[in-house]
Amino acid sequence: MTAAALATRTRATLLPGLPPLLACLALLLAWQLYARTLSMGGIPDALSTIRELPAILGDRESLADILDSIRRMAIGFAIALAFSVPLGLFMGRSRTVAAMVNPLLMITYPVPKAALMPIIMLWFGVGDASKLLVIVLGVSLPVIYHAYQGARAVEEKMLWSARAMGMSGPARLARIVLPASLPEILVGCRTGIVLALITMITSEMIARQTGAGNILFNALDMAQYETVYAMILVISALGIVLDMLFEYVRGLLTGWAEPRHDLLAPSL
Amino acid sequence: MTALARNEALIGAIPILGLLLGWQAAVSAGVAPSALLPSPVAVFGRVAQNLGDPDFLGHTAVTLYRLFVGFLIALAIGVPLGLAGATNRIAGAALKPLVRVLAPVPKIALYPALILSLGFDDASKIVLVTADALFPILLATFQGAAMVEPKLVWSARAAGTSPAGTLLKVILPATLPSILTGSRIALVVACIVVFLAEMITSTDGLGYLLVRAARNFQTVDMFVPLIAISAIGLLLNGALALTRKKLLVGFPEED
Repeated sequence: MTAAALATRTRATLLPGLPPLLACLALLLAWQLYARTLSMGGIPDALSTIRELPAILGDRESLADILDSIRRMAIGFAIALAFSVPLGLFMGRSRTVAAMVNPLLMITYPVPKAALMPIIMLWFGVGDASKLLVIVLGVSLPVIYHAYQGARAVEEKMLWSARAMGMSGPARLARIVLPASLPEILVGCRTGIVLALITMITSEMIARQTGAGNILFNALDMAQYETVYAMILVISALGIVLDMLFEYVRGLLTGWAEPRHDLLAPSL
Repeated sequence: MTALARNEALIGAIPILGLLLGWQAAVSAGVAPSALLPSPVAVFGRVAQNLGDPDFLGHTAVTLYRLFVGFLIALAIGVPLGLAGATNRIAGAALKPLVRVLAPVPKIALYPALILSLGFDDASKIVLVTADALFPILLATFQGAAMVEPKLVWSARAAGTSPAGTLLKVILPATLPSILTGSRIALVVACIVVFLAEMITSTDGLGYLLVRAARNFQTVDMFVPLIAISAIGLLLNGALALTRKKLLVGFPEED
């Protein structure tokens, strides 16, 4: 390795946030140049969109809408985790349970969860219940799947040792299978976060009541194009911040594990 | 099929059948009016009836067209970019942070901007499908190409293969399993996204059929496009798994 390459590498490890930040700036710059030169008008440039942000985030009503979205997403995510992780771990340790649940998972996996919204709205109305339900449905499948994969790969010897030391079945699940599967479960969570965002926005677009998706699509219908672009910026930033936050939490929880090749997960 | 596998298949059918029976029982018991909850018999009957309906097949064809064009563009962009990122240090340094920033952005939020710049027709939907399908393919290609055994590349180079030849004849085939895995994920995502885009603004396609049925309060017809798009997702997934098996004899199976 040359000295220059070594220097770059050291700098990159010292400032892990720098390259993504530069990428953000480059994207905004590209947008600015495109809007100023190539576009036929109609597309607001990056600078004027950023100038629009204080108006949205400073407005009490739209800020409440955005926070409402985040609240729903957090609750839906928590509910999904609460039952998906135990179910996945249980499937991973019992062949019968796995054989029972797997076909159901397989046929429900490609169902577009957010598209269930119009039907679910017939049953539960346009309020929180319907939106929470589609978020829970969207998040739970990848989490169950990855918890299952994680639990299946747990080293048998560790379980035998625990049993030999007199640990009961539920205790083994909580104290050995859960920690050992944690890196894999977190891969599922990462996919879950992305899906939670997508289902959140789409559900709010279909049941226009509150939320970030509601502001975005109402602005589109009312031809308030600055607001449309500013909301896209807000939602994108939300996705990026959640992803970084997740990486941080994962570092804390599974710093001991080998870094995983799961770049795939965020886009599933 | 071994006895064990047969038993497992039987066990696996239990929850699915249970769900269908529970659904039918709820309808028969009159839990909800049939306008809100049609019976599974009515729903699957309507699906079967629609399979012979040219109007329905036309909408399905429109959806499939958008799905495949978007997916193929994603494949045409994602594979070369992934290979470049993995084999060229400068390309990799530029690509990684961009992907890190763009991959977690919920692409559906970009759809209004796409409508404004590309119009309500096919173009905006195809670009949205491409945006969503691109990242699984790009990332899978990148990871696959980065993990190719360096000795294979060295041997090819030592034997006189040009750098471009090495890329085409050594790295690309070795990356194929990853590309197929990425494509499988991308296809399922593409099915979901094309449907949602058609629900948001469209005058044709399966997503539009759902919205039209919802507007007219025809509950049975709301289930049909949903079942159709899920079946398409399942079929494409199965077809790709089969392709993988045919193309990559000897590679370990994934599940």
